[in-house]
Amino acid sequence: MSAVPETGARASRPAVVLDDVVFTYPSGVRALDGVDLEVTAGETLGIIGQNGSGKSTLVRHLNGLLRPASGRVLVHGEDVAGRHVAEISRQVGLAFQDPDRQIFAGRVRDEVAFGPRNLGARGIELEAAVAEALGAVGLNGTADLNPYDLGYSRRKLLAIASVLALRTPIVILDEPTTGQDLHGATRVREIVRGLVAEGRTVLAISHDMRFVAETFGRVVVMREGRIILDGTPAEVFSEASWPILASSYLEPPLAARFGAQLALGSTPTEAALVEALSARG
Amino acid sequence: MTLVLEGVRYRYAGARASALDGVDLVVEAGRVTGVVGANDAGKSTLCLVAAGLAPGVIGGHLAGRVVVAGVETTQARPHELAQRCGILFQNPATQLSGTAATAWEEVAFGPRNLALPLDEVVERVEGALAALGISGLADRDPGRLSGGEAQLVALASILALRPACLVLDEPTSQLDPHGTRLVGEALGRVARELGAAILVVEHKTAILARLANEVVVLAAGRVVRAGPAAEVLDDAQLEGLGVEPPPSVRIRRALRVAGVALPAAAEDVLTGIGA
Amino acid sequence: MIAVCAVSAHAAGILRRSVPLVLLSVPLLVSILLVNTFLYPGATDPIVDVGPLRPTWTGLAAALQATLRVLAFGFSVVVLVLTTEADHLLADLERRGLGRRATFVLGSTLRAIPRTSGRAGEITEAQRARGLDTEGRIWRRVRGIVPLAGPLIVGALTDVEEQTMALEARAFTAPGRRTVLRAFPDSRVQRLIRWTVILACLALLAASIAGLLEPLP
Repeated sequence: MSAVPETGARASRPAVVLDDVVFTYPSGVRALDGVDLEVTAGETLGIIGQNGSGKSTLVRHLNGLLRPASGRVLVHGEDVAGRHVAEISRQVGLAFQDPDRQIFAGRVRDEVAFGPRNLGARGIELEAAVAEALGAVGLNGTADLNPYDLGYSRRKLLAIASVLALRTPIVILDEPTTGQDLHGATRVREIVRGLVAEGRTVLAISHDMRFVAETFGRVVVMREGRIILDGTPAEVFSEASWPILASSYLEPPLAARFGAQLALGSTPTEAALVEALSARG
Repeated sequence: MTLVLEGVRYRYAGARASALDGVDLVVEAGRVTGVVGANDAGKSTLCLVAAGLAPGVIGGHLAGRVVVAGVETTQARPHELAQRCGILFQNPATQLSGTAATAWEEVAFGPRNLALPLDEVVERVEGALAALGISGLADRDPGRLSGGEAQLVALASILALRPACLVLDEPTSQLDPHGTRLVGEALGRVARELGAAILVVEHKTAILARLANEVVVLAAGRVVRAGPAAEVLDDAQLEGLGVEPPPSVRIRRALRVAGVALPAAAEDVLTGIGA
Repeated sequence: MIAVCAVSAHAAGILRRSVPLVLLSVPLLVSILLVNTFLYPGATDPIVDVGPLRPTWTGLAAALQATLRVLAFGFSVVVLVLTTEADHLLADLERRGLGRRATFVLGSTLRAIPRTSGRAGEITEAQRARGLDTEGRIWRRVRGIVPLAGPLIVGALTDVEEQTMALEARAFTAPGRRTVLRAFPDSRVQRLIRWTVILACLALLAASIAGLLEPLP
């Protein structure tokens, strides 16, 4: 299994590159219409957009579940073409939205062990990976419970843990806060912060604008298979971008709207809002 | 009084612990009551009990009284309860019958089941679609609708039964922001124009701040807070109870903590632009 | 028989669409032709002698007969499928007395397939993303049965529970016969044709059992 990328030469290579990627589903829907994206190692990226804009299609290209009709996908500088998903998942971990569409084991620890075991981990290495992953999501005491004895919130965290156990340098989360209560959502933020502290690259798809604005350093807005906005939360949620967001039925977080109404500049998060207001005096 | 729960305790079949442990709740016609709480607090159970599906369809043990539109849920058959209290779940896909070629036929599913005369079926279907503003979707294939549209069709098919109460269990959870807005607005219309008593479980407290008259906080199967929406959503203990306050409350608190005063005019702006 | 099918297909406007489907039977027909022409047992009237091969007239005749039968059968099935909308068929059956439960089960099964395969697809993706190898050696793929089938079964059961509740919430178990949304026109002529066809079939069956019909020369 891959270790976290070292600094130096590795760090200067982008973690993920999509080069003019086009993808059409067999039904004829052109889900990706020439997407260019470069994500540097250690970056945090939030992907937002209406359902059907291509967000899920995009992330599935990053671990090879889908292959571009044209264009290239590079992970750590290497083309994913010709590589099995099982192999790419040593570098790219993708945690899906619905935990009940993956949980199959009778015990939490076996569920978490599934991934690393598939990649060849055994014995002490395997146990360490499991323990680490459970710790990262706050499920330490549950290793021997049946996953369905955990509530929905904790099953979602379990699904994330089962991907963290792969110890991939790139981690992608699909709607991690959807359906979560406060405790779960807070835990998700902590998980992302922990991954960032370890130098990993983190991407997430989300409908929660506030979560995205507060947790990610970069935001990408998708619409009809294209990236229509790409920048920091301050840029993407600034007043100048609102018409573009509105065309996708997206609304910036309240902090941004409030800040704009008070002519404070771009305040995508509550913290930025408070700062701007105190600065004004 | 349209929806009444009195001293309600409920235990799922085969479970040892009670999912609801003493709930008293009243929702009047035309009022919207929001329900919040941590994920295992019993909110979904509350919905099933209020609509009479528990114990009527799924079994289990119920103590106390649940009365919808004057009828006790333990004394009526499921199809009788369906006409008094409708219920909408999170997932649009499993609620659509899967046998209708068009949304119109889907909405007709309920009235047809009641063997109503054809002209009454037509009247109810058209009425339900119009009430939600989705008459334009009538000819569409339900399987091809977006999440938000599908939820509205599912809601219309419930409204076609003309229930006096409506219970919704996280209706926007699976939807994107657009779908969420559609459903939120539709609920507002249903309360105002149809006079239904609405009980809605939501994590997105911003929606409740706009929509609900009263809010109830559930923890470990009990009601631990109840009162006017603005008051409950501003409660200092909300986070401790596993509930995220709406953004406006959070912003006000953040400002207070930072010692930044909010000019009166700004206060109005905050209230005006959103919850 | 083929003529009857062709005429009804043309009348229903599906003649062009039915041709490719009927042509699907060509491989079968070719093999019937070859096998029967060249290998018909006991035939003694060769068409021509080509080394070890001896096609016979008897064989050819038998082959053509079999070919026509297959074509007639295939064509009539194609006409049925292309002219009948499953929904209409079910609705009409319900009107004639098939209960709402049977109708629902049949009708929803037709649409359940895309949903189940969608769910299966998502489960497969989630497991592959955790390193389950579905592209490699076969014995590795066998290991994937539980992680793939398990969630599918659990999901199907949960679905059933949710759907049952959704049905009850729409008064599915109310007594009485469901309101009919539309009646299908059924003229006297259609009814006459239907009964005639059924009686003719029975008559032919009886005649052939009684040995009154002879095989073609």
